[in-house]
Amino acid sequence: MRGVSLSISPGTLLAVVGPNGAGKTTLMKLLSGSLPPQEGDVTLNDRPLSGLADRERALAIAVVPQSESSPFPVTVREMVGMGRYAHLGPWERSGARDRTVVDHAMARCAVAEFADRQLSELSGGERQRARIARALAQEAPVLLLDEPTAGLDLRYRMELFHLLRQLRAAGLGVLVITHDLNLAARFADRLMLLDRGRALARGTPDEVLARASLEAVYQWPLRVVAHPGPGSDTGAPQTVPLRRDDP
Amino acid sequence: MTHTPRRLALLALGVVAALGLSVSFGASGIGPGDLWRTLSGSGDPTTQAILFQLRLPRAALAALVGGALGLSGCTFQALLRNPLAEPYVLGVSGGAAVGAVAVVVTGIGVVLPWTLPLGAFLGALAAMALVLEVARRASPGRMDTRILILSGVIIGAFFNAAILLLLSMADVESFRSAIFWMMGNLSGADWGSTGLLALLLVPGALAVLSLARAFNLLSRGEEVAFYLGASVQRVKLTAYLAASLMVAAAVAAGGVIGFVGLIVPHAVRLAWGNDHRLLLPASFLAGTAFLLLADTVARLVVAPAELPTGVVTAVAGVPFFVALLLRGGRR
Repeated sequence: MRGVSLSISPGTLLAVVGPNGAGKTTLMKLLSGSLPPQEGDVTLNDRPLSGLADRERALAIAVVPQSESSPFPVTVREMVGMGRYAHLGPWERSGARDRTVVDHAMARCAVAEFADRQLSELSGGERQRARIARALAQEAPVLLLDEPTAGLDLRYRMELFHLLRQLRAAGLGVLVITHDLNLAARFADRLMLLDRGRALARGTPDEVLARASLEAVYQWPLRVVAHPGPGSDTGAPQTVPLRRDDP
Repeated sequence: MTHTPRRLALLALGVVAALGLSVSFGASGIGPGDLWRTLSGSGDPTTQAILFQLRLPRAALAALVGGALGLSGCTFQALLRNPLAEPYVLGVSGGAAVGAVAVVVTGIGVVLPWTLPLGAFLGALAAMALVLEVARRASPGRMDTRILILSGVIIGAFFNAAILLLLSMADVESFRSAIFWMMGNLSGADWGSTGLLALLLVPGALAVLSLARAFNLLSRGEEVAFYLGASVQRVKLTAYLAASLMVAAAVAAGGVIGFVGLIVPHAVRLAWGNDHRLLLPASFLAGTAFLLLADTVARLVVAPAELPTGVVTAVAGVPFFVALLLRGGRR
């Protein structure tokens, strides 16, 4: 990554888009502290991220990585309860407040009804929401998500972006990495277009989603049209990749 | 989580029952009334001697070894994120066996009996250090657990070859006693060795139990555990050292008793799920009860001779585990 500069403020939803191999996941690893930067720095309220203890960092930044698997099955409640780790000492038992936070996080992500089911019994979209609930249980002001809609159907994708919108409205600073340019344009306050480790464009969806730069980045002919509505996102720039004519 | 205290209390009752059975049965039976009188200090001297000099130290040794194997097996499964992991997977038992067999074959063990557990313990520690060092050099700064498994299995294979080499040079008598030691045997129990084992187990057990919630996180992967606030490298190193130390002490005291460390944590997982806050202490208690019962059977079946305890744990443990698996599959 080179020359990328961004800040995540409370109450904003920032979407990072770009082709495969653009460095989106690397960017997220830098922002989450799992990859120390070779140059430049990542700061949290003006403190360098690398100077924070693991627990302190988890109290400030919650991350939903792209995928995870486990050889040992857990229930949804156990899974969401893991978000309380940074709040508790090694011998401390989880108390009433921890349980309240976990219940609240499950309710917000609409997985409360599955609380005592095995995570593996849930559908892909429900499982993704359970992972977001776990991140919310951390009570961190910043939330990073790496391609949370990958593999989800239309309804789950829409529900997930609505959930991110609600979290933004509740004051969280949300950064989402996504391949879905159209949903990013409709839900995000600001966009960043990454290509080969550089920030090619940043700003509002209208500023970033320009035909010329998208065609150059994705190496594919496309058009950008206005979302026909109805809804408050009417007019949002929607990308339509063109089909090659049959020979 | 709300079930935890009740379930642990249930297991503790099971341990007490197993302990009662274990000290009651033997070459001469001690009835419940006799047992109570002797424990409260008013029994006849013979029963008192049998109980306090033979049965109780042996039961205590079986209990501690079983608990240590259950707890360390569960820890290795969490550390390696592998349900097939068990206490001996990383070569600790191989190192212990090399130490013990060397003591037996060279004849030192006949002159100085306490050198047998010492040799086993030192061998186990050497294996633990060697496996760790190889894994650390092969994955600098992050102790990759896949490399740790590989290094443990390879070094274990080397130790096995060394054992065969030593055995090929042994005379018939020491060959026999070396094989018996490797099958796991608790017949050498006395209060001294049992007390020493307890002292060695306490720090390891406490360290592992303090990591229960970190193990829950680790089961979702190291990346997730890091994001949730776990100090992943420190957790892994602590788990490895603490569990290996417990295995080293248990093997030095009781030989290489198999299957307890694999079967017991799985039985608890199948019954009560994978929350390590319950799973770790429950694996300790269930291991304790299981080995107490297995050792009682080992002493009784061919009395007045006895079977190696490790044979009974396998013969009794495997069908039990298969039954559990089949029941779990239907659920």
